Amino acid sequence: MLADLVQNSLDGLAAGAAYALLALGFTLIFGVLRRANLSYGPAIMFGCYAAALTHQHFGAGLFMLALVTIAGAVLAGAYVERLCFAPHREGSAIAAMVASFALWMQFEELAALVLPGHLYAFPMLHEGAPLALGAFTFRIDALVLLAVAILVCASLWWMLYRSRFGLAVRAVIEQPTAASLAGINVPRVLVRVFALASAIGGVAGYLVVASNGQITPMLGMWATLKGLLAMMLGGLGSLPGAVLGGLALGLIEAHSQWYLGPQMRDLIAYLLLFVLLAARVPWMTSRSAS
Amino acid sequence: MDDFALGVLTNIGLFSFLALSAYLLLVAGEMSFGQQAFFGIGAYAGGMLTALYGWPLPLAALAAMALGGLAQLLVGLPTLRLRGLTFAMATLAAAEMFRILFELFHWRVERGGELAGPDGTQGFRGIRWIFEHGIEPADYLLLVYALLAAVLALLLWMERSRLGAALRGVGLDPELAASVGIDVRRVKLGVAAAAGALAALGGVLFAHHNTYVEPRNFDIMLGVHSLAYALIGGLGTALGPLLGVALDIGLLESTQYFHGYRMIVFGGLVAVLLVFRPRGLLDERMVTWIRQRFS
Repeated sequence: MLADLVQNSLDGLAAGAAYALLALGFTLIFGVLRRANLSYGPAIMFGCYAAALTHQHFGAGLFMLALVTIAGAVLAGAYVERLCFAPHREGSAIAAMVASFALWMQFEELAALVLPGHLYAFPMLHEGAPLALGAFTFRIDALVLLAVAILVCASLWWMLYRSRFGLAVRAVIEQPTAASLAGINVPRVLVRVFALASAIGGVAGYLVVASNGQITPMLGMWATLKGLLAMMLGGLGSLPGAVLGGLALGLIEAHSQWYLGPQMRDLIAYLLLFVLLAARVPWMTSRSAS
Repeated sequence: MDDFALGVLTNIGLFSFLALSAYLLLVAGEMSFGQQAFFGIGAYAGGMLTALYGWPLPLAALAAMALGGLAQLLVGLPTLRLRGLTFAMATLAAAEMFRILFELFHWRVERGGELAGPDGTQGFRGIRWIFEHGIEPADYLLLVYALLAAVLALLLWMERSRLGAALRGVGLDPELAASVGIDVRRVKLGVAAAAGALAALGGVLFAHHNTYVEPRNFDIMLGVHSLAYALIGGLGTALGPLLGVALDIGLLESTQYFHGYRMIVFGGLVAVLLVFRPRGLLDERMVTWIRQRFS
Protein backbone atom coordinates (compact mmCIF):
# COMPACT_ATOMS: atom_id res chain seq x y z
CA MET A 1 0.00 0.00 0.00
CA LEU A 2 2.51 2.52 1.17
CA ALA A 3 4.93 1.30 -1.46
CA ASP A 4 2.32 2.02 -4.17
CA LEU A 5 1.78 5.46 -2.76
CA VAL A 6 5.46 6.29 -2.85
CA GLN A 7 6.02 4.72 -6.27
CA ASN A 8 3.03 6.57 -7.75
CA SER A 9 4.22 9.82 -6.26
CA LEU A 10 7.62 9.32 -7.89
CA ASP A 11 6.02 8.65 -11.29
CA GLY A 12 3.65 11.55 -10.76
CA LEU A 13 6.49 13.92 -10.03
CA ALA A 14 8.22 12.99 -13.28
CA ALA A 15 5.06 13.62 -15.30
CA GLY A 16 4.48 16.74 -13.24
CA ALA A 17 7.94 18.03 -14.13
CA ALA A 18 6.96 17.97 -17.82
CA TYR A 19 3.64 19.68 -17.04
CA ALA A 20 5.51 22.29 -15.00
CA LEU A 21 7.72 23.14 -17.98
CA LEU A 22 4.68 23.45 -20.27
CA ALA A 23 2.90 25.61 -17.70
CA LEU A 24 5.99 27.82 -17.35
CA GLY A 25 5.96 28.50 -21.09
CA PHE A 26 2.24 29.30 -21.05
CA THR A 27 2.64 31.54 -18.01
CA LEU A 28 5.57 33.47 -19.50
CA ILE A 29 3.53 34.23 -22.61
CA PHE A 30 0.41 35.02 -20.62
CA GLY A 31 2.38 37.18 -18.21
CA VAL A 32 3.73 39.54 -20.84
CA LEU A 33 0.92 39.38 -23.41
CA ARG A 34 -2.18 38.74 -21.24
CA ARG A 35 -3.23 36.29 -23.92
CA ALA A 36 -3.37 32.51 -24.06
CA ASN A 37 -1.50 30.90 -26.92
CA LEU A 38 -3.56 27.87 -27.96
CA SER A 39 -0.92 27.04 -30.56
CA TYR A 40 1.71 26.52 -27.87
CA GLY A 41 1.37 22.74 -27.86
CA PRO A 42 1.10 22.41 -31.66
CA ALA A 43 4.25 24.54 -32.10
CA ILE A 44 6.04 22.11 -29.77
CA MET A 45 4.65 19.25 -31.85
CA PHE A 46 6.10 20.94 -34.95
CA GLY A 47 9.54 20.81 -33.30
CA CYS A 48 9.09 17.15 -32.35
CA TYR A 49 8.00 16.23 -35.88
CA ALA A 50 11.02 18.06 -37.30
CA ALA A 51 13.18 15.93 -35.01
CA ALA A 52 11.37 12.74 -35.99
CA LEU A 53 11.95 13.55 -39.69
CA THR A 54 15.62 14.35 -39.01
CA HIS A 55 15.94 11.02 -37.27
CA GLN A 56 14.34 9.14 -40.18
CA HIS A 57 16.49 10.77 -42.84
CA PHE A 58 19.80 11.31 -41.11
CA GLY A 59 19.64 9.10 -38.03
CA ALA A 60 20.92 11.92 -35.83
CA GLY A 61 21.88 11.37 -32.19
CA LEU A 62 19.90 12.27 -29.09
CA PHE A 63 21.55 15.61 -28.46
CA MET A 64 21.13 16.67 -32.09
CA LEU A 65 17.44 15.67 -32.00
CA ALA A 66 16.92 17.74 -28.84
CA LEU A 67 18.44 20.75 -30.60
CA VAL A 68 16.27 20.22 -33.70
CA THR A 69 13.15 19.96 -31.50
CA ILE A 70 13.94 23.19 -29.67
CA ALA A 71 14.85 25.04 -32.88
CA GLY A 72 11.66 23.79 -34.55
CA ALA A 73 9.52 24.87 -31.59
CA VAL A 74 11.11 28.33 -31.56
CA LEU A 75 10.67 28.70 -35.33
CA ALA A 76 7.01 27.66 -35.14
CA GLY A 77 6.57 29.93 -32.12
CA ALA A 78 7.96 32.87 -34.07
CA TYR A 79 5.44 32.22 -36.84
CA VAL A 80 2.60 32.13 -34.28
CA GLU A 81 3.83 35.31 -32.62
CA ARG A 82 4.05 37.25 -35.90
CA LEU A 83 0.67 36.17 -37.21
CA CYS A 84 -1.44 35.92 -34.05
CA PHE A 85 0.01 38.09 -31.31
CA ALA A 86 1.99 40.95 -32.83
CA PRO A 87 -1.05 42.27 -34.78
CA HIS A 88 -3.41 42.03 -31.75
CA ARG A 89 -1.10 43.49 -29.13
CA GLU A 90 -3.41 46.40 -28.39
CA GLY A 91 -6.56 44.78 -29.69
CA SER A 92 -8.80 41.85 -29.03
CA ALA A 93 -7.61 38.98 -26.82
CA ILE A 94 -10.30 36.75 -28.29
CA ALA A 95 -9.16 37.43 -31.85
CA ALA A 96 -5.57 36.56 -30.88
CA MET A 97 -6.70 33.34 -29.26
CA VAL A 98 -8.88 32.28 -32.19
CA ALA A 99 -6.04 33.12 -34.60
CA SER A 100 -3.71 30.92 -32.56
CA PHE A 101 -6.31 28.17 -32.80
CA ALA A 102 -6.38 28.59 -36.59
CA LEU A 103 -2.62 28.01 -36.71
CA TRP A 104 -3.05 24.97 -34.47
CA MET A 105 -5.16 23.50 -37.29
CA GLN A 106 -2.34 24.28 -39.70
CA PHE A 107 0.26 22.51 -37.56
CA GLU A 108 -1.97 19.45 -37.19
CA GLU A 109 -2.52 19.13 -40.91
CA LEU A 110 1.16 19.72 -41.60
CA ALA A 111 2.04 16.91 -39.20
CA ALA A 112 -0.40 14.61 -41.01
CA LEU A 113 1.14 15.57 -44.37
CA VAL A 114 4.79 14.93 -43.51
CA LEU A 115 4.21 11.79 -41.42
CA PRO A 116 0.84 10.39 -42.49
CA GLY A 117 0.81 7.39 -40.14
CA HIS A 118 -0.78 7.64 -36.71
CA LEU A 119 2.25 6.71 -34.68
CA TYR A 120 6.00 6.94 -35.25
CA ALA A 121 8.84 5.60 -33.15
CA PHE A 122 11.12 8.18 -31.60
CA PRO A 123 14.58 7.31 -30.21
CA MET A 124 14.30 6.63 -26.50
CA LEU A 125 16.30 8.63 -24.00
CA HIS A 126 17.18 5.43 -22.23
CA GLU A 127 16.48 1.83 -23.07
CA GLY A 128 16.81 -0.98 -20.63
CA ALA A 129 15.84 -1.69 -17.07
CA PRO A 130 14.87 1.07 -14.66
CA LEU A 131 17.08 1.79 -11.69
CA ALA A 132 16.01 -0.31 -8.70
CA LEU A 133 16.47 1.08 -5.23
CA GLY A 134 15.05 -1.17 -2.58
CA ALA A 135 11.37 -1.68 -3.28
CA PHE A 136 11.16 1.24 -5.67
CA THR A 137 12.13 1.67 -9.29
CA PHE A 138 13.26 4.84 -10.95
CA ARG A 139 12.93 5.18 -14.68
CA ILE A 140 16.15 6.72 -15.93
CA ASP A 141 14.29 8.95 -18.39
CA ALA A 142 12.06 10.19 -15.58
CA LEU A 143 15.15 11.11 -13.58
CA VAL A 144 16.58 12.96 -16.59
CA LEU A 145 13.25 14.77 -17.00
CA LEU A 146 13.25 15.85 -13.36
CA ALA A 147 16.88 16.96 -13.47
CA VAL A 148 16.38 18.98 -16.67
CA ALA A 149 13.22 20.55 -15.29
CA ILE A 150 15.07 21.65 -12.14
CA LEU A 151 17.89 23.01 -14.29
CA VAL A 152 15.46 24.95 -16.51
CA CYS A 153 13.64 26.40 -13.49
CA ALA A 154 16.92 27.46 -11.87
CA SER A 155 18.21 29.12 -15.04
CA LEU A 156 14.88 30.82 -15.60
CA TRP A 157 14.88 32.10 -12.03
CA TRP A 158 18.41 33.43 -12.49
CA MET A 159 17.50 35.03 -15.80
CA LEU A 160 14.38 36.71 -14.46
CA TYR A 161 15.65 37.87 -11.08
CA ARG A 162 19.35 38.41 -11.65
CA SER A 163 19.77 39.77 -15.18
CA ARG A 164 18.90 43.05 -16.87
CA PHE A 165 16.71 41.20 -19.36
CA GLY A 166 14.79 39.66 -16.45
CA LEU A 167 14.27 43.06 -14.89
CA ALA A 168 12.82 44.30 -18.19
CA VAL A 169 10.55 41.24 -18.42
CA ARG A 170 9.24 41.72 -14.89
CA ALA A 171 8.68 45.40 -15.57
CA VAL A 172 6.64 44.56 -18.67
CA ILE A 173 4.60 41.98 -16.73
CA GLU A 174 3.87 44.42 -13.90
CA GLN A 175 3.23 47.60 -15.82
CA PRO A 176 3.79 47.68 -19.62
CA THR A 177 3.16 51.41 -19.99
CA ALA A 178 5.56 52.37 -17.23
CA ALA A 179 8.13 49.94 -18.64
CA SER A 180 7.84 51.58 -22.02
CA LEU A 181 8.21 55.05 -20.49
CA ALA A 182 11.30 53.87 -18.64
CA GLY A 183 12.94 53.18 -21.99
CA ILE A 184 12.33 49.45 -22.26
CA ASN A 185 11.72 48.28 -25.81
CA VAL A 186 8.49 46.44 -24.98
CA PRO A 187 7.88 44.75 -28.38
CA ARG A 188 11.41 43.37 -28.32
CA VAL A 189 10.95 42.00 -24.81
CA LEU A 190 7.69 40.35 -25.90
CA VAL A 191 9.34 38.64 -28.87
CA ARG A 192 12.20 37.38 -26.73
CA VAL A 193 9.90 36.07 -24.02
CA PHE A 194 7.88 34.30 -26.70
CA ALA A 195 11.06 32.69 -28.05
CA LEU A 196 12.16 31.73 -24.53
CA ALA A 197 8.78 30.17 -23.78
CA SER A 198 8.86 28.26 -27.07
CA ALA A 199 12.34 26.94 -26.27
CA ILE A 200 11.19 25.74 -22.84
CA GLY A 201 8.24 24.08 -24.57
CA GLY A 202 10.66 22.45 -27.00
CA VAL A 203 12.67 21.02 -24.10
CA ALA A 204 9.50 19.67 -22.49
CA GLY A 205 8.24 18.25 -25.80
CA TYR A 206 11.53 16.52 -26.56
CA LEU A 207 11.74 14.95 -23.09
CA VAL A 208 8.16 13.70 -23.21
CA VAL A 209 8.44 12.25 -26.72
CA ALA A 210 11.84 10.67 -25.99
CA SER A 211 10.54 9.15 -22.75
CA ASN A 212 7.50 7.69 -24.50
CA GLY A 213 9.56 6.51 -27.47
CA GLN A 214 6.80 7.51 -29.86
CA ILE A 215 5.10 10.49 -31.44
CA THR A 216 1.48 10.96 -32.51
CA PRO A 217 -0.49 13.94 -33.87
CA MET A 218 -2.27 14.11 -30.50
CA LEU A 219 0.85 15.66 -28.98
CA GLY A 220 -0.19 19.22 -29.83
CA MET A 221 -3.57 19.05 -28.15
CA TRP A 222 -2.10 17.14 -25.22
CA ALA A 223 0.59 19.75 -24.58
CA THR A 224 -1.83 22.67 -24.88
CA LEU A 225 -4.44 21.12 -22.59
CA LYS A 226 -1.99 19.94 -19.93
CA GLY A 227 -0.10 23.23 -20.00
CA LEU A 228 -3.29 25.28 -19.66
CA LEU A 229 -4.58 23.02 -16.89
CA ALA A 230 -1.35 23.20 -14.91
CA MET A 231 -1.09 26.96 -15.42
CA MET A 232 -4.66 27.53 -14.21
CA LEU A 233 -4.26 25.19 -11.21
CA GLY A 234 -1.21 27.11 -10.05
CA GLY A 235 -2.84 30.49 -10.42
CA LEU A 236 -2.93 32.32 -13.72
CA GLY A 237 0.16 34.42 -14.27
CA SER A 238 2.41 33.21 -11.47
CA LEU A 239 5.68 31.43 -12.39
CA PRO A 240 6.18 29.58 -9.07
CA GLY A 241 2.47 28.76 -9.29
CA ALA A 242 3.01 27.22 -12.73
CA VAL A 243 5.69 24.88 -11.36
CA LEU A 244 3.53 23.91 -8.37
CA GLY A 245 0.47 23.53 -10.59
CA GLY A 246 2.38 21.21 -12.90
CA LEU A 247 3.71 19.04 -10.09
CA ALA A 248 0.30 18.94 -8.41
CA LEU A 249 -1.35 17.91 -11.70
CA GLY A 250 1.23 15.14 -12.17
CA LEU A 251 0.71 13.80 -8.65
CA ILE A 252 -3.09 13.98 -8.83
CA GLU A 253 -3.11 12.20 -12.18
CA ALA A 254 -0.72 9.46 -11.06
CA HIS A 255 -2.73 8.63 -7.96
CA SER A 256 -6.17 8.86 -9.51
CA GLN A 257 -5.06 6.72 -12.46
CA TRP A 258 -3.70 4.08 -10.11
CA TYR A 259 -6.77 3.90 -7.90
CA LEU A 260 -9.56 4.79 -10.32
CA GLY A 261 -8.38 4.29 -13.91
CA PRO A 262 -7.50 6.61 -16.80
CA GLN A 263 -10.98 8.07 -17.44
CA MET A 264 -11.41 9.04 -13.81
CA ARG A 265 -7.89 10.51 -13.89
CA ASP A 266 -8.92 13.10 -16.47
CA LEU A 267 -12.33 13.60 -14.90
CA ILE A 268 -10.79 14.38 -11.51
CA ALA A 269 -8.26 16.83 -12.95
CA TYR A 270 -11.02 18.78 -14.74
CA LEU A 271 -13.37 18.57 -11.77
CA LEU A 272 -10.68 19.99 -9.52
CA LEU A 273 -10.03 22.87 -11.92
CA PHE A 274 -13.75 23.59 -12.26
CA VAL A 275 -14.39 23.57 -8.53
CA LEU A 276 -11.37 25.74 -7.77
CA LEU A 277 -12.37 28.26 -10.44
CA ALA A 278 -16.02 28.27 -9.38
CA ALA A 279 -15.02 28.73 -5.74
CA ARG A 280 -12.80 31.61 -6.88
CA VAL A 281 -9.95 30.59 -4.60
CA PRO A 282 -7.81 33.68 -4.11
CA TRP A 283 -4.64 32.50 -5.83
CA MET A 284 -6.50 31.64 -9.02
CA THR A 285 -8.41 34.81 -9.75
CA SER A 286 -6.12 37.50 -8.39
CA ARG A 287 -4.38 38.17 -11.71
CA SER A 288 -6.97 36.97 -14.13
CA ALA A 289 -7.58 40.15 -16.11
CA SER A 290 -8.01 39.11 -19.72
CA MET B 1 -29.47 17.91 -55.68
CA ASP B 2 -27.25 14.90 -55.00
CA ASP B 3 -26.82 13.32 -51.59
CA PHE B 4 -23.39 14.84 -51.09
CA ALA B 5 -24.62 18.41 -51.58
CA LEU B 6 -27.61 17.68 -49.34
CA GLY B 7 -25.28 16.38 -46.64
CA VAL B 8 -23.01 19.41 -46.84
CA LEU B 9 -25.92 21.85 -46.69
CA THR B 10 -27.49 19.98 -43.79
CA ASN B 11 -24.19 20.07 -41.90
CA ILE B 12 -23.88 23.81 -42.45
CA GLY B 13 -27.34 24.22 -40.94
CA LEU B 14 -26.61 21.93 -37.98
CA PHE B 15 -23.37 23.52 -36.97
CA SER B 16 -24.88 26.99 -37.36
CA PHE B 17 -26.89 26.34 -34.19
CA LEU B 18 -23.67 25.62 -32.33
CA ALA B 19 -21.93 28.67 -33.80
CA LEU B 20 -24.93 30.82 -32.83
CA SER B 21 -24.68 29.60 -29.25
CA ALA B 22 -21.00 30.61 -29.12
CA TYR B 23 -21.94 33.91 -30.77
CA LEU B 24 -24.59 34.76 -28.15
CA LEU B 25 -22.05 34.33 -25.37
CA LEU B 26 -19.40 36.32 -27.26
CA VAL B 27 -21.84 39.20 -27.71
CA ALA B 28 -22.48 39.08 -23.96
CA GLY B 29 -18.71 39.35 -23.47
CA GLU B 30 -17.96 35.75 -22.51
CA MET B 31 -15.78 33.33 -24.43
CA SER B 32 -16.80 29.70 -24.00
CA PHE B 33 -14.60 26.72 -24.87
CA GLY B 34 -17.41 24.40 -23.87
CA GLN B 35 -20.42 24.72 -26.18
CA GLN B 36 -19.70 21.24 -27.57
CA ALA B 37 -20.92 19.77 -24.26
CA PHE B 38 -24.45 21.12 -24.69
CA PHE B 39 -24.45 20.04 -28.33
CA GLY B 40 -23.52 16.59 -27.01
CA ILE B 41 -26.21 16.65 -24.31
CA GLY B 42 -28.76 17.49 -26.99
CA ALA B 43 -27.52 14.69 -29.24
CA TYR B 44 -27.59 12.06 -26.49
CA ALA B 45 -30.86 13.17 -24.88
CA GLY B 46 -32.72 13.64 -28.17
CA GLY B 47 -31.38 10.40 -29.59
CA MET B 48 -32.30 8.41 -26.50
CA LEU B 49 -35.82 9.78 -26.36
CA THR B 50 -36.63 8.91 -30.00
CA ALA B 51 -34.61 5.72 -30.41
CA LEU B 52 -35.15 4.13 -27.00
CA TYR B 53 -38.46 5.49 -25.80
CA GLY B 54 -40.31 6.16 -29.04
CA TRP B 55 -40.86 9.87 -28.52
CA PRO B 56 -41.65 11.91 -31.64
CA LEU B 57 -38.71 14.03 -32.76
CA PRO B 58 -40.27 17.46 -32.07
CA LEU B 59 -41.07 16.54 -28.49
CA ALA B 60 -37.63 14.98 -27.99
CA ALA B 61 -36.02 18.12 -29.40
CA LEU B 62 -37.92 20.33 -26.97
CA ALA B 63 -36.94 18.15 -24.02
CA ALA B 64 -33.31 18.10 -25.17
CA MET B 65 -33.31 21.89 -25.51
CA ALA B 66 -34.68 22.25 -21.99
CA LEU B 67 -31.98 19.92 -20.71
CA GLY B 68 -29.22 21.73 -22.63
CA GLY B 69 -30.41 25.11 -21.36
CA LEU B 70 -30.61 23.81 -17.81
CA ALA B 71 -27.14 22.27 -18.04
CA GLN B 72 -25.56 25.49 -19.26
CA LEU B 73 -27.45 27.45 -16.61
CA LEU B 74 -26.03 25.16 -13.93
CA VAL B 75 -22.51 25.51 -15.35
CA GLY B 76 -23.02 29.26 -15.66
CA LEU B 77 -24.30 29.87 -12.13
CA PRO B 78 -20.93 29.46 -10.41
CA THR B 79 -18.76 30.54 -13.35
CA LEU B 80 -20.34 33.53 -15.08
CA ARG B 81 -18.68 35.92 -12.67
CA LEU B 82 -15.30 34.83 -13.99
CA ARG B 83 -13.82 36.87 -16.81
CA GLY B 84 -11.81 36.15 -19.91
CA LEU B 85 -9.54 33.13 -19.86
CA THR B 86 -10.71 31.93 -16.43
CA PHE B 87 -14.28 31.63 -17.71
CA ALA B 88 -13.09 29.95 -20.91
CA MET B 89 -11.11 27.40 -18.90
CA ALA B 90 -14.01 26.76 -16.52
CA THR B 91 -16.29 26.01 -19.47
CA LEU B 92 -13.59 23.82 -21.02
CA ALA B 93 -13.25 21.88 -17.76
CA ALA B 94 -17.03 21.43 -17.59
CA ALA B 95 -17.22 20.31 -21.22
CA GLU B 96 -14.40 17.79 -20.84
CA MET B 97 -16.16 16.40 -17.75
CA PHE B 98 -19.32 15.93 -19.80
CA ARG B 99 -17.32 14.23 -22.58
CA ILE B 100 -15.77 11.80 -20.08
CA LEU B 101 -19.21 11.19 -18.56
CA PHE B 102 -20.45 10.29 -22.06
CA GLU B 103 -17.57 7.79 -22.20
CA LEU B 104 -18.68 6.28 -18.90
CA PHE B 105 -22.37 6.37 -19.82
CA HIS B 106 -23.93 2.98 -20.59
CA TRP B 107 -27.70 2.88 -20.97
CA ARG B 108 -28.59 -0.23 -22.92
CA VAL B 109 -32.27 -0.90 -23.49
CA GLU B 110 -33.87 -3.73 -25.45
CA ARG B 111 -35.50 -2.45 -28.60
CA GLY B 112 -36.83 -4.85 -31.24
CA GLY B 113 -34.90 -7.82 -29.86
CA GLU B 114 -31.58 -5.98 -29.77
CA LEU B 115 -29.77 -3.92 -27.20
CA ALA B 116 -29.68 -0.26 -28.16
CA GLY B 117 -28.55 2.94 -26.54
CA PRO B 118 -25.36 4.71 -25.49
CA ASP B 119 -22.52 2.26 -24.93
CA GLY B 120 -19.65 4.29 -23.50
CA THR B 121 -16.76 4.83 -25.87
CA GLN B 122 -18.46 2.53 -28.38
CA GLY B 123 -20.90 5.35 -29.03
CA PHE B 124 -24.63 5.36 -29.61
CA ARG B 125 -25.93 3.77 -32.81
CA GLY B 126 -29.29 3.50 -34.46
CA ILE B 127 -30.83 6.94 -34.02
CA ARG B 128 -33.09 6.26 -36.97
CA TRP B 129 -36.24 8.25 -36.31
CA ILE B 130 -36.17 10.18 -39.59
CA PHE B 131 -35.70 6.99 -41.63
CA GLU B 132 -38.39 5.13 -39.74
CA HIS B 133 -40.77 7.97 -40.45
CA GLY B 134 -39.94 8.17 -44.14
CA ILE B 135 -38.37 11.60 -44.03
CA GLU B 136 -36.24 12.09 -47.14
CA PRO B 137 -32.84 13.86 -46.87
CA ALA B 138 -34.25 16.83 -48.79
CA ASP B 139 -37.16 17.12 -46.34
CA TYR B 140 -34.78 16.94 -43.40
CA LEU B 141 -32.70 19.71 -44.97
CA LEU B 142 -35.84 21.84 -45.18
CA LEU B 143 -36.69 21.08 -41.57
CA VAL B 144 -33.19 22.10 -40.39
CA TYR B 145 -33.29 25.35 -42.34
CA ALA B 146 -36.85 26.16 -41.28
CA LEU B 147 -35.77 25.83 -37.65
CA LEU B 148 -32.64 27.86 -38.34
CA ALA B 149 -34.71 30.58 -40.01
CA ALA B 150 -37.04 30.69 -37.02
CA VAL B 151 -34.11 30.96 -34.59
CA LEU B 152 -32.49 33.65 -36.74
CA ALA B 153 -35.69 35.66 -36.99
CA LEU B 154 -35.99 35.53 -33.21
CA LEU B 155 -32.36 36.57 -32.72
CA LEU B 156 -32.50 39.39 -35.27
CA TRP B 157 -35.69 40.69 -33.68
CA MET B 158 -34.10 40.40 -30.25
CA GLU B 159 -31.03 42.33 -31.38
CA ARG B 160 -33.14 45.30 -32.42
CA SER B 161 -35.08 45.29 -29.16
CA ARG B 162 -34.17 46.73 -25.77
CA LEU B 163 -32.99 43.29 -24.73
CA GLY B 164 -30.46 43.25 -27.57
CA ALA B 165 -29.15 46.65 -26.54
CA ALA B 166 -28.83 45.40 -22.95
CA LEU B 167 -26.98 42.32 -24.21
CA ARG B 168 -24.43 44.34 -26.19
CA GLY B 169 -24.08 46.75 -23.28
CA VAL B 170 -23.23 43.89 -20.93
CA GLY B 171 -20.72 42.55 -23.44
CA LEU B 172 -18.96 45.86 -24.06
CA ASP B 173 -18.84 47.22 -20.54
CA PRO B 174 -20.57 45.35 -17.70
CA GLU B 175 -19.90 48.08 -15.11
CA LEU B 176 -21.44 50.75 -17.35
CA ALA B 177 -24.39 48.47 -18.14
CA ALA B 178 -24.99 47.90 -14.43
CA SER B 179 -24.82 51.63 -13.78
CA VAL B 180 -27.70 52.29 -16.18
CA GLY B 181 -29.86 49.74 -14.42
CA ILE B 182 -29.24 46.55 -16.40
CA ASP B 183 -29.18 43.44 -14.24
CA VAL B 184 -25.91 42.05 -15.64
CA ARG B 185 -26.11 38.71 -13.86
CA ARG B 186 -29.65 38.03 -15.02
CA VAL B 187 -28.82 38.92 -18.62
CA LYS B 188 -25.80 36.62 -18.56
CA LEU B 189 -27.71 33.72 -17.02
CA GLY B 190 -30.45 34.19 -19.58
CA VAL B 191 -27.91 34.18 -22.39
CA ALA B 192 -26.31 31.04 -20.95
CA ALA B 193 -29.64 29.20 -20.87
CA ALA B 194 -30.47 30.30 -24.43
CA ALA B 195 -27.01 29.32 -25.68
CA GLY B 196 -27.29 25.89 -24.05
CA ALA B 197 -30.73 25.31 -25.57
CA LEU B 198 -29.54 26.40 -29.04
CA ALA B 199 -26.50 24.13 -28.90
CA ALA B 200 -28.70 21.24 -27.73
CA LEU B 201 -31.09 21.80 -30.65
CA GLY B 202 -28.14 21.57 -33.03
CA GLY B 203 -27.09 18.38 -31.25
CA VAL B 204 -30.51 16.73 -31.62
CA LEU B 205 -30.55 17.50 -35.34
CA PHE B 206 -26.94 16.30 -35.68
CA ALA B 207 -27.68 12.99 -33.96
CA HIS B 208 -30.70 12.30 -36.17
CA HIS B 209 -28.84 13.28 -39.33
CA ASN B 210 -25.85 11.08 -38.51
CA THR B 211 -27.81 8.23 -36.80
CA TYR B 212 -24.64 7.64 -34.76
CA VAL B 213 -22.83 9.71 -32.16
CA GLU B 214 -19.82 9.01 -29.96
CA PRO B 215 -18.15 10.94 -27.11
CA ARG B 216 -15.27 11.91 -29.37
CA ASN B 217 -17.65 14.02 -31.50
CA PHE B 218 -17.93 16.46 -28.61
CA ASP B 219 -14.31 17.27 -27.83
CA ILE B 220 -12.60 20.64 -27.54
CA MET B 221 -11.98 20.79 -31.30
CA LEU B 222 -15.71 21.18 -31.95
CA GLY B 223 -16.02 23.84 -29.26
CA VAL B 224 -13.17 25.99 -30.51
CA HIS B 225 -14.38 25.56 -34.09
CA SER B 226 -17.75 27.00 -33.14
CA LEU B 227 -16.03 29.90 -31.44
CA ALA B 228 -13.95 30.46 -34.56
CA TYR B 229 -17.05 30.32 -36.80
CA ALA B 230 -18.73 33.03 -34.76
CA LEU B 231 -15.65 35.24 -34.79
CA ILE B 232 -14.78 34.82 -38.48
CA GLY B 233 -18.34 35.46 -39.61
CA GLY B 234 -18.60 38.52 -37.43
CA LEU B 235 -20.00 39.67 -34.12
CA GLY B 236 -22.18 42.42 -35.61
CA THR B 237 -25.21 40.30 -36.48
CA ALA B 238 -26.61 36.82 -35.90
CA LEU B 239 -26.02 36.18 -39.63
CA GLY B 240 -22.25 36.32 -38.98
CA PRO B 241 -21.85 32.84 -37.47
CA LEU B 242 -23.70 31.35 -40.45
CA LEU B 243 -21.23 32.95 -42.80
CA GLY B 244 -18.38 31.48 -40.73
CA VAL B 245 -19.83 27.97 -40.89
CA ALA B 246 -20.62 28.28 -44.60
CA LEU B 247 -17.07 29.44 -45.37
CA ASP B 248 -15.46 26.50 -43.60
CA ILE B 249 -17.79 23.58 -44.30
CA GLY B 250 -19.28 24.85 -47.54
CA LEU B 251 -16.31 26.33 -49.30
CA LEU B 252 -13.43 24.24 -48.04
CA GLU B 253 -14.56 20.92 -46.64
CA SER B 254 -16.89 20.16 -49.51
CA THR B 255 -14.75 21.30 -52.41
CA GLN B 256 -11.82 19.21 -53.49
CA TYR B 257 -9.59 22.18 -54.37
CA PHE B 258 -7.48 22.01 -51.26
CA HIS B 259 -7.66 18.31 -50.63
CA GLY B 260 -5.15 17.48 -47.91
CA TYR B 261 -4.25 21.12 -47.42
CA ARG B 262 -7.65 22.37 -46.32
CA MET B 263 -6.76 23.28 -42.76
CA ILE B 264 -3.47 24.83 -43.82
CA VAL B 265 -5.33 27.13 -46.22
CA PHE B 266 -8.24 27.78 -43.87
CA GLY B 267 -6.07 28.30 -40.79
CA GLY B 268 -3.87 30.81 -42.60
CA LEU B 269 -6.88 32.64 -44.03
CA VAL B 270 -8.51 32.93 -40.62
CA ALA B 271 -5.37 34.27 -38.95
CA VAL B 272 -4.82 36.85 -41.71
CA LEU B 273 -8.50 37.81 -41.76
CA LEU B 274 -8.46 38.45 -38.01
CA VAL B 275 -5.49 40.79 -38.41
CA PHE B 276 -7.64 43.06 -40.54
CA ARG B 277 -11.05 42.34 -39.05
CA PRO B 278 -10.63 41.32 -35.38
CA ARG B 279 -14.41 41.17 -34.87
CA GLY B 280 -15.06 39.20 -38.05
CA LEU B 281 -16.34 39.90 -41.55
CA LEU B 282 -19.79 41.11 -40.51
CA ASP B 283 -18.67 43.25 -37.57
CA GLU B 284 -20.70 46.07 -36.05
CA ARG B 285 -19.29 48.69 -38.41
CA MET B 286 -19.99 46.60 -41.49
CA VAL B 287 -23.54 45.87 -40.33
CA THR B 288 -24.22 49.57 -39.75
CA TRP B 289 -22.79 50.41 -43.16
CA ILE B 290 -24.98 47.79 -44.89
CA ARG B 291 -28.05 49.00 -43.00
CA GLN B 292 -27.46 52.58 -44.09
CA ARG B 293 -27.11 51.46 -47.69
CA PHE B 294 -30.31 49.50 -47.81
CA SER B 295 -32.70 51.54 -45.72
